[in-house]
Amino acid sequence: METTDVKMDETTQGVTKSPSGARIFWREIVRDKLALISLIFLVLITAFVYGISLILDQKEIVTVDLFAIHQPPSEEFWLGTDYGGRDIFGQLIIGTRNSLSIGILVTLMTGVIGVVYGLISGYFGGHVDNIMMRILDFFLILPFLMVVIVFVAIVPKYSVFTFSLIMTAFLWMGIARLIRSKVLQEKELDYAQASKTLGSSNIKIMFTQVLPNITSLIIVTMTLNLAANIGLESGLSFLGFGFPESTPSLGTLLSYATNPQTLEYRWWIWVPAAVLILLLMLAVRNVGEALKRAADARQRRG
Amino acid sequence: MGFLEVEDLKVYFPIKGGLFNRTLGNIKAVDGVSFSIEQGKTYGLVGESGSGKTTTGRAIIGLNDITSGKVLFEGKDLTSKKSKTASVRKDIQMIFQDPYSSLNPKKRVLDIVAEPIRNFEKLSKQEEKKRVQELLEMVGLSPESILKYPHEFSGGQRQRIGVARAIALKPKLIIADEPVSALDVSVQAQVLNFMQDIQKELNLTYLFISHDLGVVKHMCDEIGIMYKGRYVEQGTKQDIFENPQHIYTKRLVAAIPDIDPRHRAEQKQFREDVQREYEQSYNDYFDSEGLAYGLQSVSDTHLVALPEKG
Repeated sequence: METTDVKMDETTQGVTKSPSGARIFWREIVRDKLALISLIFLVLITAFVYGISLILDQKEIVTVDLFAIHQPPSEEFWLGTDYGGRDIFGQLIIGTRNSLSIGILVTLMTGVIGVVYGLISGYFGGHVDNIMMRILDFFLILPFLMVVIVFVAIVPKYSVFTFSLIMTAFLWMGIARLIRSKVLQEKELDYAQASKTLGSSNIKIMFTQVLPNITSLIIVTMTLNLAANIGLESGLSFLGFGFPESTPSLGTLLSYATNPQTLEYRWWIWVPAAVLILLLMLAVRNVGEALKRAADARQRRG
Repeated sequence: MGFLEVEDLKVYFPIKGGLFNRTLGNIKAVDGVSFSIEQGKTYGLVGESGSGKTTTGRAIIGLNDITSGKVLFEGKDLTSKKSKTASVRKDIQMIFQDPYSSLNPKKRVLDIVAEPIRNFEKLSKQEEKKRVQELLEMVGLSPESILKYPHEFSGGQRQRIGVARAIALKPKLIIADEPVSALDVSVQAQVLNFMQDIQKELNLTYLFISHDLGVVKHMCDEIGIMYKGRYVEQGTKQDIFENPQHIYTKRLVAAIPDIDPRHRAEQKQFREDVQREYEQSYNDYFDSEGLAYGLQSVSDTHLVALPEKG
């Protein structure tokens, strides 16, 4: 979303252009060294993880090798092996990729659903809003963890995509509420009213007039949600309600630490995953906070 | 059949509350307003804040729901659902009060001015661009500014963009909702004169909503004065400014500042007299709820809200 904005601005605006959204964000990032490091770290790790996992063979990595059980880090196994003799380094790469994929997918899907739901609810208001918000309240009071556990139990086989769908079904409400409240404000402004008098249809006003004015809010919320979703996925996998061991994720690696022996003597199995989760969530959050400041002129540092 | 006729227009806003969100009462924002405008004329709607003048304008263009009454535009009833469609929308446009919020900050001038054109006419990109440039030239802005964003313009320039957008479809009636009250005084005259120029050029009719009597005197042929959702007086410019009958109108007219310092003492005296009269005869002109009475004819053009027995 950001990159297309830049292109448009640069090609169309004249000499006296004001800084575009992306440039403001960039200035903010450069000013905030921690966010800059976080961004570089994120870009590197994403490129690395997705790049390496292309050449890694997941089947081979998750195959049990009884002759290599609980090996400490060595030349052959950079981060050692687990109780099934499986290479931790390979699992870490694929696990990070899976966790990131789920985090991103869930964030995107909850984002789309939440934005559309919030837009419709806030824009039409009145009875439509009332009914839609009551439906949302219903989803909100469902105990997330229990429902996801039940779903995971009844769905026989699931992939990254179906698991993301299950999570999405119970995570879209927050952003929907946020967008709704902003749209309630925005639609009363004169430009939205003016569009009505100019003969634009409601759908056109919603998506071409109101939506561009709330993009910064959407981007910021989604970035901060990403951090939360990565954590949530790891948490579910840790509890054993995420992926099976044949599909590694950061959470499954971490869950080996439930074994006291592993926790105490075989640090190489769970420490890298734990550190990575921590760093990923922190980095995404730092970038998100910088975005948030960039979106609000009063908080900017750059 | 007039050009625009408003008959007994009422716009009530419900007060919700209590158990089950019942309607407890109504705010009578506009309470039985009737007037008519001839084509090519400017009709001024004047009143203090909260008098319902803006609501009247918004009800005519369809931004507020009408509780009861009729709005006839060239004989067509705008209140019936069917005519809420395109053709009438095209003929009535609005200029908004605040040029800072009435233009979408994320859109370029080209998109802002072309929005109505895209909705009603199918033009190619080139034709559309040419048309927008013509419109911008018409309102005195450089045609090169089509790629700029609204925040790159001053308040007066922004209001001109608003006007360009309003005249893009060659409407017959423009509802101008305090078009200059957000601008500073030096720019006000500029925008007003230019509105008069395009009125002649395009044979526009204005419904000019304002609280500034000086501006209204400059612009309008006929004037209606509103107070608490009702009319207190209606007449030609001469009727209102030279022969105000209602005590509220008198007070308004007395409040117009006079810049000649030699009249200062007289003005002060005059204002104090009017104020005294207003306080003394308030109960004669307003009913027990503080609302104006029904309109009585004083002359052919002049209507005043006086009590039945006078």
